[in-house]
Amino acid sequence: MQTSRPGFAHPFDELRDELDRLWGTLAAAPPLHGWGTQPSATAFPAVNVRETDDAVIVEAELPGLDPAGLDIAITGDELVLKGARPGISAEQPPAGDGERKPGVTWHRRERGTGNFERRLTLPVAVDSARVEARLVHGVLTVTCPKAPEAQPHKVQVRST
Amino acid sequence: MVSPTLAQPEAGPRPAQPEPRLTYQPNVDVCDCGAEVLIVADIPGATADGIDVSFEDGVLSLHAKVPARELPGRPVRQEYGVGDYRRSFRLGDDFDASRITADARHGVLTIHVPRRAAVLPRKVEVRAG
Repeated sequence: MQTSRPGFAHPFDELRDELDRLWGTLAAAPPLHGWGTQPSATAFPAVNVRETDDAVIVEAELPGLDPAGLDIAITGDELVLKGARPGISAEQPPAGDGERKPGVTWHRRERGTGNFERRLTLPVAVDSARVEARLVHGVLTVTCPKAPEAQPHKVQVRST
Repeated sequence: MVSPTLAQPEAGPRPAQPEPRLTYQPNVDVCDCGAEVLIVADIPGATADGIDVSFEDGVLSLHAKVPARELPGRPVRQEYGVGDYRRSFRLGDDFDASRITADARHGVLTIHVPRRAAVLPRKVEVRAG
């Protein structure tokens, strides 16, 4: 892109600066539905769900969350993932040089912060008392054993 | 003549073909905090020993290996893929490569890239008299 010469403002440069300012304010705005700065995700967190003969396994990526900040609830065949992700605020720049007034500039703010809630309907009813969840390296794995009535039931065929 | 499909019944749903592993760009927050540039990247599933951070010719690069996590069972819903993370940032030459620190916790990589002392503004004492 052509850079502007001193003393002559190219109209496209002004347009680009306006757009940068616009996106900048949008990124700094409070999240609209929990995770405003993630334009690609329609629901957060994204999940992968698998089913075995006796369990349903839900995996989600939740980096930056520690288990205390995560709330998982199961009712029948509905799983609810709820939590809040803290962000790094610009007011407390991590390494301030005491002598120099910290002039903090955010060049990218792609990691959303704030509250999220995702409701998921599982393929079958699960036994909520036996659900196990693990959060390792930011990956959540929820293993939901199927409710006894949802397990495959072998039927004896009588010959008479 | 028995048709092949009757002679060889399928033993259930056809197993899904393994997806090819893609490499992803992690979401980042980048802050120029004066004395240093701070880069925070979301790299869920990566472990500290699989992370490589390098700084060369003014470019900071990160590469985080993510071990494959094959969940058991048949897929019901697939909203994301699992793969390594790679991203590079052109920062320039004002930085002290020997003082770069990086740490990974809860699937988040935090990289501190301090500026060289010589390029930071220095307060000059003005003596009276």
